[in-house]
Amino acid sequence: MILIIGGAYQGKLGFARDAFSVTEAEIFDCTGASIDFSKRCVRHLEEFCYACVEAGVEPKDYFLEHKDQWRDSILICRDIFCGVVPTDPIQREWRQAAGRLCQYLTVEAERVSRIFCGLEQRLK
Amino acid sequence: MICFISGGAKNGKSTLAQNLALSLARGGTHYYVATMIPTDGEDRERIRRHVEDRKGLGFETIECGRNILSCLDGADREATFLLDSATALLMNELFPPEKNYEMDVPAAKRCAEELTAFAGSVRNAVIVSDYLYSDAIRYDRSTQVYQQCLADIDRALAAVSDTVVEVSAGQYIVHKGALKL
Repeated sequence: MILIIGGAYQGKLGFARDAFSVTEAEIFDCTGASIDFSKRCVRHLEEFCYACVEAGVEPKDYFLEHKDQWRDSILICRDIFCGVVPTDPIQREWRQAAGRLCQYLTVEAERVSRIFCGLEQRLK
Repeated sequence: MICFISGGAKNGKSTLAQNLALSLARGGTHYYVATMIPTDGEDRERIRRHVEDRKGLGFETIECGRNILSCLDGADREATFLLDSATALLMNELFPPEKNYEMDVPAAKRCAEELTAFAGSVRNAVIVSDYLYSDAIRYDRSTQVYQQCLADIDRALAAVSDTVVEVSAGQYIVHKGALKL
């Protein structure tokens, strides 16, 4: 599994396209609390986490339950971790849950890339 | 030599940018392209502090808050330009006062093209931007558009720059090229 992280609009998907030849048909755009892992590239993990928090599910647990399905995936998550602690409890929990998931995924990943202004910074 | 610098607030971007510009200028003409249009006392105080920091460094200041290519009028393109910052420039272009600060997206796109053209027109430039993309706030539409337009500018400038540096707590992360001070 490859994990791509980076701030909003930094070119994470563009990097996935360029570096791993991801095509449009292979992309799953997270909007809810479930993921179609038959798609090779899963993006907006942070939105998946937000939906999980709203549904009272721990995103990391979901990944543990589906571990056999994302071994060869390219996962993309927005870095939402550098701002002030959100005052809204849902947003606060969102950040925490997404952080727990990313820490787990970075351990499992064979490669972790951070994208800054369209440029790759290899973290693992 | 085109250098692009970004990073969080108050981490030392402007200090690095000044040092880099001085090093590139090698004693030759160096311009400070000031992009902020002050709207209140707080802005004026920030500008005063920046002017104080630059004192004695020999920068010629060009005030240019909009239409960035106009800063080249009468300027020596073989000189060194320090542009601080893309963030303020985009703010002025995207939310123009004469349109009652209503969002002007085509102006933001033009701003991105002009900044890339600017980088391609001068011998040396150091361009400063701000990294404001990694928090957990769900912004309103106009703030999202602002972020997206600035990110478009950042990526375009990073692509044409020789050197790209992220400044964090006064430390430098070199993403592209080499940092020679």
